[in-house]
Amino acid sequence: MRSRTLVPVPEEPLTLDAVLTDEAVLSTYRRMFAALARDSGAVVDDPALVDIAETLFSAFAEAGEEWLTHEQMRFACRAYPADQFDNRLRVLKGLGAVREVFPKPNQLRYRASFTSVVGLMFIRRMMSDGGQSEMHRLLALEDLNVADPRTTMEEARQSAVNLARAFRLWALELITLTTGTIEELREQAPKLWGTEEIARRAQGLHGTILTRWPELDRVCTDLRAAIYAYSDASRRAAGRLADSAGTTRNLTLLPTETWRTFAQTASRERLAAVLDGFVFDAPAPWHDPAAIARAVDEAPRPAPAQPTPPRSHLPDPGPDSALDSSPDAAAERLREVAESLLGDGSRVALADVLGDDWPSARRVLADLTTVDLRPELPYRLAWSDGLTIDPEGEPSWLSHGYLERT
Amino acid sequence: MTSTDHSGAVAHVRARAGGPLWLDAGVPAPAGMVRLTRPDATGQALPVWPDGVTPSLLEEYQVAPVPVERAGETRRVLAAVLKCCWADLSVDPWPGRPAPVELVLDTYRALIGRTDDLMRNWAIGALRRLHDSAWIVMSDGVVVLGPRCALWPVESHAQLQELVRRLPEPERPELTVVRDADIVAAAESAPEGAGGRVEGGAPEFGDVLGAYDERRRAELVAAYMAVEHAAEPVQEVRFAALRDPALRHTLGEMLARRGRALIQHRDRWTSGFDDAHARAATTYEPLTRADGEAGATVPDAAPEAAGEAVAGAGSPDHHGTASGDGSLPHHGTSIDAGSPPGHRTVAGDGGGAGRGRHAAETGLGVSERAVLTLVLVHSVAIPRAEGLLPEDSWLSPHPTPVDELRRHTQLPIGELEAALRGLRHAGLLSQVKAGEEAGGYVPGPQFHRLTPAARRRLQEELILAAGPSTPLAAAVRARRSAQTREPRG
Repeated sequence: MRSRTLVPVPEEPLTLDAVLTDEAVLSTYRRMFAALARDSGAVVDDPALVDIAETLFSAFAEAGEEWLTHEQMRFACRAYPADQFDNRLRVLKGLGAVREVFPKPNQLRYRASFTSVVGLMFIRRMMSDGGQSEMHRLLALEDLNVADPRTTMEEARQSAVNLARAFRLWALELITLTTGTIEELREQAPKLWGTEEIARRAQGLHGTILTRWPELDRVCTDLRAAIYAYSDASRRAAGRLADSAGTTRNLTLLPTETWRTFAQTASRERLAAVLDGFVFDAPAPWHDPAAIARAVDEAPRPAPAQPTPPRSHLPDPGPDSALDSSPDAAAERLREVAESLLGDGSRVALADVLGDDWPSARRVLADLTTVDLRPELPYRLAWSDGLTIDPEGEPSWLSHGYLERT
Repeated sequence: MTSTDHSGAVAHVRARAGGPLWLDAGVPAPAGMVRLTRPDATGQALPVWPDGVTPSLLEEYQVAPVPVERAGETRRVLAAVLKCCWADLSVDPWPGRPAPVELVLDTYRALIGRTDDLMRNWAIGALRRLHDSAWIVMSDGVVVLGPRCALWPVESHAQLQELVRRLPEPERPELTVVRDADIVAAAESAPEGAGGRVEGGAPEFGDVLGAYDERRRAELVAAYMAVEHAAEPVQEVRFAALRDPALRHTLGEMLARRGRALIQHRDRWTSGFDDAHARAATTYEPLTRADGEAGATVPDAAPEAAGEAVAGAGSPDHHGTASGDGSLPHHGTSIDAGSPPGHRTVAGDGGGAGRGRHAAETGLGVSERAVLTLVLVHSVAIPRAEGLLPEDSWLSPHPTPVDELRRHTQLPIGELEAALRGLRHAGLLSQVKAGEEAGGYVPGPQFHRLTPAARRRLQEELILAAGPSTPLAAAVRARRSAQTREPRG
């Protein structure tokens, strides 16, 4: 057998919401088993404990006739802490949900009880809808029962009495909700859904019993009264919800799926009927004369097509070939320019070397500035504060400066 | 309130919800409306504003008016229509004379200097929006100025004249099969095709406003225009007539005469249809001519066109044109095909005119109402049920994806596009753009204008429709039947 390591499951941070959800689940558990519990602390205090039982049962189902050893059970529940697992196993064994395969000492293999598994399924279903669909199933079963020729009158009477009791208690719970806070009512509202159908089924059942055993008249009257009380209480609770102020709050009372189904399956006419009788403004934007004039002024003008500059029709290779693009060529040219200006001297005034036409002077100045900016060339420009102004000459403004050899 | 007051308010509700009202020959316009009388003495009635102001007053108060879709383009197209239809600048622009749609398009083309098909499609979209909002009337490839053009104040006509003069004349090659002059002549020969005069139009607030000095009166009028025409509810502190309870009371009286009521959202105010008048308007017998009397071209009012557009979109022959701006026919098809789907050809179709006017009463067409319901379910009800929408409001930050509307509903796609366009134009839906794929539609600013009773009724109607067999729906029905049984006037 390969060796396995147990990896601790990271604990989820305990939020207030999680605590509240757990508490709601636990309170349902407690209520469901109140009738069976020996003392008030007898029901689990952590919903995870029920998950352990469920995990165990599914492991038993997979194991089949191999049954399970203690180690295998522990392995199936490896996601849960050891102490929780031990606690659960002890209780399940004690109550007979998990038993030895053969009742003899040192028995190492265990089996699960079918009754407990069915019980757990029932618990899970009760959890998901508060017992409402159980009531549906119960009514359907009872309906089959009373129609069965083997059913005795006593059985039918018992069935009617039980149902009457259930409906009375349900009605009482709804009445309490109706008189309680609106928030609580809104929260518990899902218990109200489908009540019409339950009442109808119950009335059907009542009718069957009464037709078959007219003697049960008195019990049936009780059942009928209980059903009416229940329908009435649910209508009143819903009425209070409908009356509760708010513009869109009651929309929460229909589950998302109902809304989606409506949106996806309703015909065009059914959708439109929702807004029958509502009046909305017709589109009536105002186009002010000033705004119209502004819009015309701001009209996007197409960019005028720009004419291409005229080109010579003769072939013109351009100065491309004349350019020496080798890396040292530029530096060499600048050195030649500087040397030609300096001649033998180490220093020459700019005023002497610039010609008297601006285009050529400009070119020389540009070259000299480049020379000055290249540290690898041994020439510098030195400027002084002097300035010669000669309106007739060219350039008419000339800063005094020197080209120096360094 | 006297019964005449009442019917006046109901008429105003109908005009606001359905565009200009049709009046039979000789029937005067309700108080507070201008009568646009046609040569055959029938006419249309359109509300006017107190003290000669227009909604452009909002600019002075820096309050955003209801946004205009593609405003620049729409107004340039309106300028082109004006250039074509306002032949005699020495008289008022309305009614002007009919002009062929193609001439308008050529004028617009000369104005913006573009000639591509995209520009043409945009221009046709703008024409359709102008038609839907009664600024122009388009039928049979002919355009005339719509009733709303009669609301331009006389002082502003000089500005419009100057504008029309400087618009460039289109260069028109004589290629069209039918000459412009023939189209115009045909349109003018129709009994209602051209001509008309503006009558009346004194706003009816004289007695209410007369008690106030100049400054207060201006404050009242400003607040009136702000609550009636601003896109969103306006802040109380910005308007003296909203801050001062006495002035606010007078403002409420002014609004009541138009079938409106003040609606408060914390420290902001807007106006909406008052419940009683809104109910009356949906069941009210109108002042219009008898159905079937008209035998020729009827220049349609706005919502009628919207209703027809929706109805027409379902039929195969309208399908192509109704499915969106981009799919309009290209240049070179006939003028009639190029005209938008919102408009109908009514020669000899008196029943059609009657139907159209009936649609005007309710405002929105079936598809539009269906799409609006779907958006309310997806943007409000579902987020609400999932606890994602804390605010108790019909506005929502959760967009309904267009894909959801397109794929997971029973609505034909062609109707969907036309309905979305109409609802967007009316401010009932706002488009939310987010990235490439995301985004969609949320309920528009008009949902600010529902009264508390209307909000609540909307909630109830949705519950009745989506969960008709729930006890909640049963409770709603029970309460309603109890209310109707109680004596109510």
